[in-house]
Parts: sequence; structure tokens; C-alpha cells
Amino acid sequence: MIKKLLVALPLTLALAAPSFAQDFPERAMRIVHGFGAGGNADTVSRIMAEAISADLGEPVVVESRPGAGGTVASGYVASEAPDGYTMQLLVGGHAVAAALYNELPYDSVNDFTFLSTLGQFPFFVAARAGEYESISALIEAARAEPGSIVIGHSGVGSTQHLTGELLGLQTGAEFIHVPYKGGAAASTALMGGEVNVIIDTGTVISGQAEAGVYDILAVTSAERWPDAPDVPTLNETVAPGFDVVSWTGLGAPAGVPDDVVEILSTSIGKALAQPDVQEKIAALGAAPGGSTSEELKALIERQIAVWSEVIEAAGIERR
Amino acid sequence: MIDQFLLGLGVVLQPHILMYAFIGVFIGQLIGVLPGIGAITAISLLLPVTFYLDATTSMIMLAGIYYGSQYGGSIASILLNLPGTPSSVVTCLEGYPLSKSNRGGLALFVAALSSFAGGMVGVAILVLAAIPMTIIALRFGAPEYAMLVILGLLAASLIGTGSQIRSFAMVVLGIALGLVGADQTTGYYRFVAIPELADGISLVSLAMGLFGVSEIIRNAAVRSTPGRVMSIRMRDVIPTRAEARTLGLPILRGSSIGSFFGALPGTGAAIASFMAYAIEKRVSRTPEKFGTGHLPGLAGPESANNAAAQTGFIPTLTLGIPGDAVMALIIGALILNGIIPGPRLMVDQPELFWGVIASFFVGNIILLLINIPLIRLWVLLLRIPYQKLYPVIIVMICVGVYSHRTSVTDVVLTLAFGILGYVMKNYRFEPAPVLLGFVLGPLLEDNFRRAMLIYRGDFTVFVTRPISAILVTCSVVLVVFAIRSSIKARRKTARVLS
Repeated sequence: MIKKLLVALPLTLALAAPSFAQDFPERAMRIVHGFGAGGNADTVSRIMAEAISADLGEPVVVESRPGAGGTVASGYVASEAPDGYTMQLLVGGHAVAAALYNELPYDSVNDFTFLSTLGQFPFFVAARAGEYESISALIEAARAEPGSIVIGHSGVGSTQHLTGELLGLQTGAEFIHVPYKGGAAASTALMGGEVNVIIDTGTVISGQAEAGVYDILAVTSAERWPDAPDVPTLNETVAPGFDVVSWTGLGAPAGVPDDVVEILSTSIGKALAQPDVQEKIAALGAAPGGSTSEELKALIERQIAVWSEVIEAAGIERR
Repeated sequence: MIDQFLLGLGVVLQPHILMYAFIGVFIGQLIGVLPGIGAITAISLLLPVTFYLDATTSMIMLAGIYYGSQYGGSIASILLNLPGTPSSVVTCLEGYPLSKSNRGGLALFVAALSSFAGGMVGVAILVLAAIPMTIIALRFGAPEYAMLVILGLLAASLIGTGSQIRSFAMVVLGIALGLVGADQTTGYYRFVAIPELADGISLVSLAMGLFGVSEIIRNAAVRSTPGRVMSIRMRDVIPTRAEARTLGLPILRGSSIGSFFGALPGTGAAIASFMAYAIEKRVSRTPEKFGTGHLPGLAGPESANNAAAQTGFIPTLTLGIPGDAVMALIIGALILNGIIPGPRLMVDQPELFWGVIASFFVGNIILLLINIPLIRLWVLLLRIPYQKLYPVIIVMICVGVYSHRTSVTDVVLTLAFGILGYVMKNYRFEPAPVLLGFVLGPLLEDNFRRAMLIYRGDFTVFVTRPISAILVTCSVVLVVFAIRSSIKARRKTARVLS
């Protein structure tokens, strides 16, 4: 009997004791994301999983839980244990969803621990080559004849869509916004002459721009984008103060112990300092770069406020 | 063109690239056979491998998975009534009855041959007419797509084997199921009873349920069924000379239809094979044989979907614009290799561009060569008694459906659709029109509303734009013909009766 107790004692102690950070991680971790396998979010998750796993010595599994613009995954992660073993790849859509959905089963800010951004990317305003001399010419044309300029976007409630609406609101130009199934379809419509303008990421636009099929009229970031220094910003031309940059980052359920956050953040920082990780993230069209937990949280809060305003002003149906 | 094609051939015939082409088509073929696991799952699984390969090799391998899975998809459709894609739904219509009457081997042979012929025609179009096809594809805007879908729906209303009213009702049911999810134009949620339905009902669940699962339930109701003894002698697998003669024209028509529709981004293969089937039935002198295992009805659509699988690469290669989700993944592999897909690809990377096209040529030959001997193996599968085979298949269907969106709801829905399909069949309602409505309904709504948005509610766009006007004319002609032949038929019966 006593023997049995003695055997059981350390076991009970081990179960009762809070897990100390120096033990973290002692088993496999996972990165959950809300998009299809093989997409950009999946690829970034895999790049990070590989680097973090190499650094912390435990495997990191990538898990795709697609659905409803990533909110299925966020809802799932928000209700998981905040032990640091479950992380989530977050994208700009996380802030959009907070503004767009009426009833999310989670709080987009308070139900999460934010770890770090991984990369940021702007959107570009593009038209068929030679159609508009500059972004100012486009805005003037739209002002002169309201409703004459059609902007194709990648889906209702996508960041691309909201950015177009924001451009209309800030310049007073009246556009017609037409949804397509994804950026590629919108780009086809621009080439075929069905729409006048698209606003999308570099990966969608740059191939056509390099071939001289599109003119890139402007970039949505506040400062000129390093990869495209000749492209003027909306901020310096038609819409002072315009600043839209989307991002990817890593988060976890709210309440992850500080020391575990520290370990994960450090590991993410190390990963982002590796040239091959940087190269792979850059290939996906983003400028690789980390942040503190507070910076990511502030970014998300700022964007939720902006998108709420845009959705309200543009009269977009909340879900 | 031919010179460049030879350049591409030189690239593919390097041993290591040839090996990856082989791996691609072989995996594609195997994955295609597994119910519910499509090219998209296979490609996303293999995507990490491409981190370590160069762009040309990655693309050749991933593309091989894509068109290889088209071959494989027919096998499960013919032998087990398990369609994984809308195009293989059409394969089930004639393929499965053949297999039930112990001629599955023959069906597989004809499918492989038609697929090969279709694939080759597709490759030829790619080599000779990629640029003109691109220009035509770009002229298809929202009004054209809307009218094309209407034409497709009209043509396909001839598909059902039973009464027109019943098949019309099933198309409407399909359209209704297609409405579930977020409205494309406003984002408003329709019929989203549970959050898992926000992205709509999965096509794979619907197809697997209505066809595969319902068939399994039906067979389970039959008492003690021994495994079928199907002949695997090569002699019985090859069509007779008379049969072979009936296949030439359907293959030719199917390949042309498939090549054309494949080049239209987003619509491609599904419409192509439905159209090919409808046309075969229309021109046939024995339309009543359709649905009972009629070889031309198998050959036409099979060559159409494989031709479309090849010409589907036209927008992807010439413009860098992916036509569907699978193409987007393939393009993703290019981007990861630092190549920006776009119109300059053909000029800047001729070896990649032509290498990939030449790999289609080689890949189709490899597929034919591995398919013919494998027919005997697949047919042997059916010797397994139902009681042992079907539980395994049900498990595989569940795994396959789950793998698409990692959703348990999808699995439950698949089983529910299985029961629905069983009940429908008992009351002589066909499942194929449901699938058709499900695929084409949202496409019609989407493009119609988009056209109305862009042209501000002006209905005349449908007749003032030339291509759209042609499509409207075709639809009208089709309706007039249908009415005329039904009046004729009625007069005939009236005369007989009086």
C-alpha cells in the first residue's frame, strides 16, 4: 500500500504543479489557420512551423480549419487551452471579420494573446496600361462622372473591397464596386475590359505590370513601398492620411503565461532573422518583419476601428 | 510553335524531369481513384516538396497530379458510382450501368482511350492556339458567362433519363442547395442554419452522397450478394469493331467542346462534360439507350473533361491567371520559386513554358500506358463481396470528404445526402440534374448580378454584346427545336390513336 502511495506521490505532484516555462515546450505544438491547404496562409504557417520546430526542438504541426473567412479557426483557437501549444496564423482578415460580422463567437482582441507580426504587405491600384495617366487622373474621371469607374475586387468584405470603399470615401469619388471570386478573377476582368481598376496585392498585379499590360497607379501604404519605389502613395497624392497595409502574424488563445509568450516570441524573432525564411515570406509578396505583442494588438485595434467605419459608411451588409 | 514544342520535349525527356512527370501522373491517378480525395488535396500535400525542386520540375509534377486525377476519377465513377468532381458525375451516368452489367473493364478501356484522345487534342490546341484562345477567353465577361450557363442548363435539361418535369424539379432542388452560404454579391448569409455552412454545401459531399452512398444503401438492401465475377480477359475489355466505330465522332465532338470550355477560367471542365453528354444524346439516333451503359455517352464526356483539363492551363500559362483553385496552387509553387507568373512567362521562361506543355504530351502517353494494364486490377476489386467492400468504401468516403475542409459537418451531410439520394431513386428522381443545378445555379446568379451591377441594370447587354448574342440565339434555337419535336411527337401519337 505504502509502496503504491510512494509511486503515486510524484505523479500527483507532477500533475498538480504549474508547468514551468523552462519545461516549455515538452510536446508537439501546432499552428492553426483558417484557410485552405496549400494557400498563402498555409505556406506561411509551414515556413514558421519548420523554423520554430528547429529552434525549440519539438515538432510543430500545421492544421487547416477553413471556413467563413477564417472565423471558424479563430473561434476554435479562442476556446483552446492557453498553454502555448496552440498557435494561430492570423491575417489582416482577423480585423476585418471583427468589423464585418455581427455575432462572432469570440472577441477578436480580448480572446487572444498576440505574439508577433510576420510580414506586412500593401495593395496596389492598377489599371490597363495607358488608360489613366496617374492616380489623380483616375480620381478626377470618377468625380467628373460619378459611377463611371468600376472597381473589381476579390469578394464582398475582403480587405481589397474595403480598401476600394475607403478610397471612395476619402476622395469623394463615387465608384461602382463589383465582386469577383478572388483576385485572379478580378484581374481577368480588368484585362478583358469589364472593370476599369483593381486594387490587389503585388502577387496578383506585378506579373501583368512587368509585362506592360497594367499600369500601377498607386500603393495603399502611407510610405512608398521599398520594392516599388517609383509608385506614388495614395497618401501623397489623392488621399492624404491613407494608410492600408495588410499583414500576417501569429497569435494564441488569451491567457498564455508571460514566460511562454517570451519563449515563443523569441523563437519567432529568431526565425524571422533567418535569410531563407525572409526570402520565402518575401516571395509571397510580403515584407518580412516581426513586432512586439503590443504592436500587433494595437495594429489590430486600429484596423478594426477603420474597417467598422468603412463598413458603416459604405452600407455593407453585416453578417 | 513546333520548334518550341520540340524545345519543351527536350526539357521533359531529361531523365530526372521525366521521373517527376511520372510521379505526378501516377500519384494523380491513384488519388483520383480514392473517393472524395481530389487533386487539390494531393497537390497541397505535395506542395512542400516543391520547396526543394526547381520551378519547371515542380510545375510538371503538380500539373501531372491534376490531369492524372482526371483519369483516376473515372475509375471510381465507373466501378463504384463514386464521382469526385462534377465532370465525373457524367461518367457515372453511362459508366456505372456498364459496370453493373459486368462490362466494367470495357468501360474503363473506353474511358482511358477517350481520355487519352481528349488530352491529346487539348495539348494540340495548347501548342497551336494558346494565344487566340486566350483572346477569346478574355472576351467572356459577366453577360457572356450568364448566357453560357443558361445555354448549358437548357442543353442539360435533356440529360435526365426520365420525365422532363422530374429532371426540372431536380435542377431546381440543386439550385436551392447551391444558394446555401454567403451571397456572392452582398455577403448576406442565406440558409446558414449552422456556422459550418457559411461557405455553402460542399460539392464533394453532395456528389458522394447522392451517387456513391445512396448506391451503397441500395445494394445493402439486396440480400447476400456475392462478389461479381467480371471477365478480366483482355479480349472482353477491348471494344468490338462495331463498338469502336461508334466512338470516333463522340470523341471528336467531346474533345472540341472540352478544349473550348476548358480555356474559360472558372467554368471549364464541369460545363464541358455536361454539354458533351447533352450533345451526344441530342445527335444520337438511339437516345433511349442513354443511361443504360451506352458507350458514346461515356466516350464524349470523358474526352471532353480531359481536353478541358489541358486547355485549362491556357489562362494559367499565357496570363498567369489561375482558372480554379487547383491552378492557383500550381501558380503558388511558381511564386515560391521566385517566378512571377504573367504574360511574360512565355518569353522569359520558354523552357518552363514549353517544358510544361510538352510534359502534358508525355504525361498523357504515360497515363495510357499505365492505365490499360491496370484495368484488370481495378476490375478484380469488384470480386470482393459487397459486405466487405462497402464498409471500407464508406470509411474512405468519410475520410475523403473530411479532408476537403476538415469539417465533420460535411461528413454528416454526405451521409444525409446518401439517404436523400436513396429515397429519390426509389421515386425515380435522378441525381445528376441536382448536381447540375448545384454547380450552374450559383454561377448563373453570380454572373447575372455582376452583369447587372456593371451595366447598371441594362438588360440589352445580353443581346448587344456579340458573343452573348450568339449564345442567346443558340438557346432560343434549342428551345424552338425542343418544342417542335415534342409537337411532332404528340401529333404522331394522336394519329396513331385516332
